[in-house]
Order: sequence, then C-alpha cells, then structure tokens
Amino acid sequence: MLRDITLGQYYQTDSVIHRLDPRVKISTTLLFIISLFIVDNFAGYIIGALFLAAIIKLSHVPVKFIFKGMKAIYMLLAITMIFNLFLTPGTPIFTLWKLKVTIEGIKTATMMGIRLVFLITGSSIMTLTTTPNQLTDGLESLMNPLKRLNVPVHEISMMMSIALRFIPILLEETDKIMKAQMARGADFESKSLIKKAQSLVPLLVPLFISAFRRAGDLAMAMESRCYRGGEGRTKMKPLIYRKRDFIAYGIVVVYFVLCIIIGKILF
Amino acid sequence: MKKKHDEMICTEDLTFEYIRRDEEGNVEGITTAVDDVNISINPGEFISILGHNGSGKSTLAKHFNALLYPTEGTVWVDGNDTSNLQNLWNIRQEAGMVFQNPDNQIIGQIVEEDVGFGPENIGIPTKEIWERVEESLKAVGMYEFRKNSPNHLSGGQKQRVSIAGVIAMHPKCIILDEPTAMLDPNGRKDVIRAARALNQVENITIILITHYMEEVIYSDRVYVMDKGHVEMQGTPREIFSQVDRLKELRLDVPQVTLLAHELKMRGLPLEDGILTIEELVDQLKKIRK
Repeated sequence: MLRDITLGQYYQTDSVIHRLDPRVKISTTLLFIISLFIVDNFAGYIIGALFLAAIIKLSHVPVKFIFKGMKAIYMLLAITMIFNLFLTPGTPIFTLWKLKVTIEGIKTATMMGIRLVFLITGSSIMTLTTTPNQLTDGLESLMNPLKRLNVPVHEISMMMSIALRFIPILLEETDKIMKAQMARGADFESKSLIKKAQSLVPLLVPLFISAFRRAGDLAMAMESRCYRGGEGRTKMKPLIYRKRDFIAYGIVVVYFVLCIIIGKILF
Repeated sequence: MKKKHDEMICTEDLTFEYIRRDEEGNVEGITTAVDDVNISINPGEFISILGHNGSGKSTLAKHFNALLYPTEGTVWVDGNDTSNLQNLWNIRQEAGMVFQNPDNQIIGQIVEEDVGFGPENIGIPTKEIWERVEESLKAVGMYEFRKNSPNHLSGGQKQRVSIAGVIAMHPKCIILDEPTAMLDPNGRKDVIRAARALNQVENITIILITHYMEEVIYSDRVYVMDKGHVEMQGTPREIFSQVDRLKELRLDVPQVTLLAHELKMRGLPLEDGILTIEELVDQLKKIRK
C-alpha cells in the first residue's frame, strides 16, 4: 500500500522540454513564478497562460496528468479566494449578512486564484519533466557560487540524492514493521487521534534505529569506494549547455520582459 | 618507498580490540575481535575465510580496506602499510570491498550511476568512466539492467551491481564480506560464479568471507577463524578432511563431505576430504569394481 507512492512524479516520455538542461528548467520556473507576482493586470496573465500552454504542449505530458496534481490545493485555493473576496476594502457591490463584497475584492480574488493555479502548474511541469537526479544535479550546479560563502553545496546535493534513493527502501521497511507490529496486536486503524499518535511509537522507534544503522553501513560503503567529498571528483554525467538550452533561455527572457511591459507599464 | 612485502595482503601479529565505553566515556571492557593473526595472500589467489558469527572474520576483512586500523601489529596491502594515512586512498582503490547488505551499499539511483560512483570519486575523466562502467557491468552480466533502478532488482542482482561498482575502480583485490548472507540460493550461486570468473579471467585476487561451506570448495586456500584466532588453514580438501575438528568449531561441513566421512567411519575405504557429489560417485564406483 505504501509502495504505491511515487515521489518527484516524473512523467516518462521524450520531448524537447524533457531534454532541456535541468538548470534551464529550474531558473525558468523561478522566473515564471516571479513574473506571476510582478504582473497585476489580466493582459499580463494572458501572456502567462499562453506561455504555460505552449510549454505543456511541447512537454507531451497529458493535461489530465498535470491537473491531477492540482487536487491537493483545492482547499487552499478556495480559502484564499474566499478571504480575498470578502475582506478586501473598496466600493461595495452587495452585502451578504455582515460580509461586504467589493469590486476590488472580486479582482484580487480572481488574481490570487490565477496566480496559485499557474504557480502549481508551472512547478509541476518542471518536476514532471525532470528526473529527481537531474534536479539535484541542476541545483548543485546552480548553487555553485554559494561555495565561496562556505555553503556545503556538494554535500547538500549528495544528501538530497541519497534521501531520494532511500525513500522507497524506508517505505518498504515501514510496511514491514507495520505488519510485524500488527501481527503482535498493534492497532493502526483506530479512529481516535490520540490512539493513532500512540500507535506510531512502535512504528517509528524501530524505523529510526534501522535508518541509523543503514546510514552507518552506507557511510562505510561510500568510504571504501574512495568517497572523500566533492573535491577532485569527476562527473559521469556532467551538465553541458547545448544550443537548445540557450534558445530556451532566450525565449524565457523575452517572455519575462514582455510580462513586465504589458503587465506593469503598458496598462 | 621500498616494498617490504610482495604479497597482495599480509598481516603481521594483527590484533584488534573493540573498546566498550559507558555513557561518560569510561572504559567498560575490551573485546579482542582479532587476536594475533598472521596471514599472507598472494596476487591472483582465491581465498576463503570461514568462521561462525563473532569469530572476527568481518573485523579482519575491514582491515584489508583500511576501514579499521590494527591496535597492534601491521597490515600491508600490496606493500603499503594501512596505518599510514598517505596510502589510504591508494589502498581503498586497490582493495575493493563488497558488504553484506546490498541495499546499504548502492548509492546511485540508476544501476550505471552507482557503478560510476567509485571512478567519479577517484577523478577518472568522464569518457573513461563510461567505458569502465560498461566493461564492469558486462563482467558481472548486468549490462542489460544498466538503466534500471536498483530497487527493482533481486538481491543477487544488486550484489552483482555492487561487485561491478568495485571492479570499475580497477582493483587488484576484491574483499567480499559475506556477500551472500542475505540472498536466496540462486542469487548466491550467481554472485559466487561472478567472483570466480573475475578471479580466473581477470586474475583479480578474491577474498571471500562466508559461513557457507559450499562456497568455499572452489577456493585455493581456506582460513578458518574462531574467537579471533586463525584455527585452521589449508586447501579446501585439507580443511574438509578434518570433519571432527570443524564440528568442534561449530561449522557445518558440506553434506557430501559429511556423508563420505560417515561412510568412511563405517569402514568404506574412501579418501579424506571429498568435496563434490561427482567425486563421491567416482570413488563409490571404484569400490564396487
């Protein structure tokens, strides 16, 4: 049951977007999110929507798949929109009991909604088209300048990729421990919240012990294979910018400038 | 530095003590895991180290890779003293190690990336890493799985990937620390077959640490350990001809050897130390004639 969880939700197919350098995708996502918060009129969002639509089309990821990930934020979306709708001061249109609905309220609520939906769609396209491995590689390379500030960039990315490697193993282990404890009469199906929390103790304690043991073993295995940090290390799959990556950067910059002009200056 | 020892691995009066401490760091007790061990292993040999749990065989193995340093005595790996820190990376590259639990030694999320991990660490250029990964995966028969996630492989396959990861560093010697303890019989056979092939084809020294007697019969020499001492050494045939001594050390003898031993006790004129079913059949046929 626990084994069905997939992390990073990578969608396996071949497309231009899949083949782009992860660094391009990470910085594009970042720029796209920034652009969403700079723009504050609907003309700007039309540009954003066109940009998103083009990327989805290019990525060959089915639209249904992208919106499946949206389910998790329905609640958040509704709450944000309701708060904005009722609590923005301005010219009232009508009053519902004690709550005033204003023109400004309607405008901010829709904008917030659009922002959130675009933000989630944009970032899920990144995770859908980039393997977790490429993501950590890309992050390591993008954060490289931080090394001068003594940020352990290599170590952080190594930890991330080890964490990703061990998630399925630890999930399997959780499953096993759960069954073992159930066989001894542990109750994981109780509805009461306190009982539920209590039942986690006999699950978490053995899981933590085993995780630490694994960590010790892994550290020894890494050392015996000459691991000594990032220094002097070569890469089996180095990140190399190709022509399409530069083109992609160009397109993104054009989009960003267009967004600022239309969304901020023109209207 | 002049090479002092020509052997692949050589230990001199090697003693290792685990010091147990209480919460304040006071010494509670000392366990001598390896006690005054002298062994020497020549290049190209296939050596087995046998012993039941707690006999010190794994502790001994960790000395060969400079993961542990002797409390007393010296260990030389290819002429390099392991307690000399300057030799550390050299030793770890020359003497690769495969551990018991396959899950806890695979670092990469894809088979080929894991095999590339060692060469990446010792600074091999990208192009050569790919060549080494390909050649080592082919050597253990796992090439067609190179794009798979290690989580979807069987135990024996994972263990062969671990071996490939070690071969990719071009070691002179591979130490296998109970590589088959967590595997099913089929996986066990595959791993041992891969180790034997490396020994015979590539002439890599193999040190197999195990408590399965069946895996020992192909080795050139066997060391039997008990309570940190080397109790017996010799060819598999010499070792297995001493069935009673092995039983004293709480080790199981292969079934065929045991059967031959019992038959001999009942008066059949069989030779000592029969290792395979074929041998026993041959000898029994001779007796009938």
